[in-house]
Amino acid sequence: MSETIIESHLAIRKDKWIGKPTKRVEDPRYLTGTARYVADLELPRMLHAVYVRSPHPHARILSVDTSVLPGLGKSVWVFTGQDLRDVPPLIDHVALDNLLRTPQNVIAIDKVRFVGDAVAVVVAGDRYAAEDAAEQLSAAVEYEVLPPVPSVEAANAPGAALLFDDLGTNEIYRQTEKHGDTEKAFAAADRVFTTRFHHNRYGAAPMETRGVLANYERSEQQLTVWSSTQMPHFLRSVIAGQLGLPEHRVRVIAPEVGGGFGQKMCTSPEEIAIPFIALQLGRPVKWIEDRHEHLLAATQAKEEFINLEVAVSNEGKLLGVRGEFIGDGGGYSFNTESALIEPALAAKSFPGPYRIEAFDEEVAASLTNKSPVAAYRGVGWTAANTVREIMIDEIARELGIDPVEIRRRNMLRSDELPYRSVTGQLYDSGSYLESLELAMKTVDYDAFRTMQERLREQGRYLGLGISSYVEQTAWGSDSSAQAGTPLPSHDNSTVTVDPSGTVTVAVSTSCHGQGHETSYAQIAADGLGVDMADVKVVFGDTLTSPYGLGTYASRSAVIGGATVARASADVREQILKVAANMLEANPDDLVIEDGTISVAGTPSVSKTLAEVAYAAYWDSEVRSDEPMLTSTRFYDPPATYANGCVVVLAEVDADTGVVTLDRIVAIEDCGTVINPMIVEAQVQGAIVQGIGGALFEQFVYGDDGQPLTTTYMDYLIPTSTDVPPIEVLSLESPSPFSIGGIKGMGEGGQIAAPAAVANAVADALAPFGARVRKLPLAPDYVLRLMGKIGSPNG
Amino acid sequence: MKPPPFTHHACRSVEEALGLLDADPDGSKVISGGQSLVPMMNLRLASPAHLVDLNPIPGLNGIDVGRGTLTLGATARQHAVERSADVTAAAPLLTAALAHVGHPQIRNRGTVVGSICHADPAAEMPAVFLTLGGEVTAQSAAGTRSIAAEDFFDSYLTTALEPNEIATAVTFNTPNGSSGWHFEEVTRRHGDFAIIGVVALLTLADGRISDARLTIFGGAATPVRLPAVEQLLVGVAAGDVDADLLAQAAREASAALRPGDDIHASGDYRRHVAGVLTARGIRTSLERASARA
Repeated sequence: MSETIIESHLAIRKDKWIGKPTKRVEDPRYLTGTARYVADLELPRMLHAVYVRSPHPHARILSVDTSVLPGLGKSVWVFTGQDLRDVPPLIDHVALDNLLRTPQNVIAIDKVRFVGDAVAVVVAGDRYAAEDAAEQLSAAVEYEVLPPVPSVEAANAPGAALLFDDLGTNEIYRQTEKHGDTEKAFAAADRVFTTRFHHNRYGAAPMETRGVLANYERSEQQLTVWSSTQMPHFLRSVIAGQLGLPEHRVRVIAPEVGGGFGQKMCTSPEEIAIPFIALQLGRPVKWIEDRHEHLLAATQAKEEFINLEVAVSNEGKLLGVRGEFIGDGGGYSFNTESALIEPALAAKSFPGPYRIEAFDEEVAASLTNKSPVAAYRGVGWTAANTVREIMIDEIARELGIDPVEIRRRNMLRSDELPYRSVTGQLYDSGSYLESLELAMKTVDYDAFRTMQERLREQGRYLGLGISSYVEQTAWGSDSSAQAGTPLPSHDNSTVTVDPSGTVTVAVSTSCHGQGHETSYAQIAADGLGVDMADVKVVFGDTLTSPYGLGTYASRSAVIGGATVARASADVREQILKVAANMLEANPDDLVIEDGTISVAGTPSVSKTLAEVAYAAYWDSEVRSDEPMLTSTRFYDPPATYANGCVVVLAEVDADTGVVTLDRIVAIEDCGTVINPMIVEAQVQGAIVQGIGGALFEQFVYGDDGQPLTTTYMDYLIPTSTDVPPIEVLSLESPSPFSIGGIKGMGEGGQIAAPAAVANAVADALAPFGARVRKLPLAPDYVLRLMGKIGSPNG
Repeated sequence: MKPPPFTHHACRSVEEALGLLDADPDGSKVISGGQSLVPMMNLRLASPAHLVDLNPIPGLNGIDVGRGTLTLGATARQHAVERSADVTAAAPLLTAALAHVGHPQIRNRGTVVGSICHADPAAEMPAVFLTLGGEVTAQSAAGTRSIAAEDFFDSYLTTALEPNEIATAVTFNTPNGSSGWHFEEVTRRHGDFAIIGVVALLTLADGRISDARLTIFGGAATPVRLPAVEQLLVGVAAGDVDADLLAQAAREASAALRPGDDIHASGDYRRHVAGVLTARGIRTSLERASARA
């Protein structure tokens, strides 16, 4: 592949550490159980909160009889929506005029809109007592049950009950946008293919559920909130606003966070209610979501309906697409990104790595009596990629073209990039075709086809599924605008060398398992010329880290990485300036290597970084005008686009419909790689979650609006025995736009894997004419696709 | 996910446990492995006032292979049974089925007797018990009785045990040397309860099927034997079991069941796959029996 030229102003110092698969410095504490999460925190006089949640999908709250609780106001306290009526409701931040708003009280006041909606919070001295009281109080809430709205179809049926009466409709958004000349494309088409696809509702299920601990120190007028959040600074701003506190009196700490995957990005109503209660009671209050509660009340994701018409030529060229993207938003259009988070992002990302020059999108979203839909790894992109890649395979099969060949005919070549997609996304660089070809070579495609043919004669059904993807990353102002949901932002890092010469890197991009402590230390170590062991990375505390939006949408490597590189470069200059004074040399003639500053070519004339740092702080003869060795730098990058290809090899038991995954090959191109081991693990983890979506995971609601997947015996996440070997290979197309050529990554596996699995199953079952129209591919659905039982729509 | 208050009784003898149970039969639950009971208590679906804990009772964890029988005590862990070479020699079917009970962590604590008494119709152990045949030793303050396997399962999570009785042991009949077996279940993931499963045990005498025992689990409120299929097979020469007969057996198996729909599969699926698994069960059992004969 040709070397991408990175303009000099974007260059970063890449020496011993960047690109090295160094072990993660955070892992020892994860692996030895010494990491401390919100649930591990104890404060003197701390109380425990438990929620009373609605058992009804849709109901009016008539009364909450708190008098049933013995010890009320002495050993047990209750807070209802009425008690929090002065707290403003949470509303999404999306700047679209024709999007209807659905204010969500942090505890429901008049109505509940899904099973799990908050009705009251019970607080007691320990968790057991709080749960006993919550059970008692649950029986003392009087509801007027309203007709449930369990689906988008029900939401828009004539006479449907309204979730928000004053809106006059459950459909809160519908908008059409044309890109290119679809009329011409469809007029020129040899064939038009259509599909109606239902993407399943599934969710993050992080190992650590949500949790909040709040404490108000009256003497210092300081509210401290520990929360399992991805966005501590943003949460601080929201809490200050919601509770009417000066922001400098609020401190948010995200201690160890056991996974977020986007779910801990939005503001949870609990993150406002628990601090409010702590303020009222003047005692620390802790709420830890239990797993049952998590399946009811935490946000869910990815459910949408996608209806497509695709115009193609007989040669398999994609001429134009008309797509309708309908989101099932749940009970509230959730704060931060609204119910459009799925359908709008799906529509904008639909073209993917292909040359599609005409595209009409219609985006809609409806409210339903289900848990709200919010962010989860691969937001919108998963659904778009799934339906597009399934459709491409079906078109290929219909036209008698090999699925690899049809992709070759439509894919953008790397020399065509940068390329602005028909929906306005500016692909910076990539290896779309190269990823596909490498994947095919790795799985030995031709040999597979021969084996598939042979085994089919023996009644065994093997299949191979391809899913190519482009992953939008570097979520700053530009990227969010290109996605269709503008949200201006920037992030900052502070790099400081202390008087002993060790380095602290404080970043705003918070970490919840991604290995930031390692990746950022690698960048700082190269930037400063020190050993990684001399760098400590801190984050997750608004008191010690600079402001920024936190970690979501594959932004931290690009944004955080660049801020660390830029601040390190500044501090390096500061060090060299002091060293130059000490060595009586020109700063331009000095080099830093392994923590030693020397005159280039004359290693004997040198000082250690510790000596220079000491002098910088303590020696007024050599110190600079601003003696502190520190710099804070920001970055708000242009959008970058990672890409890759996931290939799944699977076998279907044609008698039982059970799908067994045999092998997965993933090609990942995320530009400059900081730590290949972390990249590989991110790809694997994302693919596992994609396997969940493809084969196992779905939040199921009955026609009565009751959730049917309320334990992990019913909501099935893949376990190690369900995951085949995943080989990850890397290509590296540095971004010509971003500092260091770094791109974000980590969502591609989740974006691509569901379609790869679905295509493998459809390929295996091609003799049966199987067409996948929904996920997950449970054995029951697989037999229906084969015509062995009932109908596929059953 | 915290249980309501309860009193835990660490019993030192069966008599002590029986006395506690007798004092408040409806408010007490016997606990051994606790792998089903404790989650139900945490979800507040079960709220016994008294937990009568059998674990401290000495000698209740026996694994005893006799002539044609295998007797497991109430606290014999699934893991211990699974790893016992004596059990594998006497009832390889049980060993094979145990590998499908949850995960190793669960089997380290869970007991075979507890799983049978819990009587989840989609669980493996009740189906194995029903197929092998045998009896439950049920003790109460009033005395001891035996309940035959075919009389034990009443309905979903319901057995012939009285609230004041403790199943102190389960005795399995172990098959003789000329039998073959098959265990198979369809699950969404390894370790889950079965969507549908089969346990088969065929015995050959003089080249003919002398005894046929087939059980479907996950297809009704209890595991169910398939008498129509069994009758079809008994007396048939092993060599005469052909594709037509297997197809007929599959149809009979499907016809015997009226399973309902749930989120993991439809009743139609369960009926169809019960037939598929029945045919597989017969085929594999015969192969195993023929290989030993």
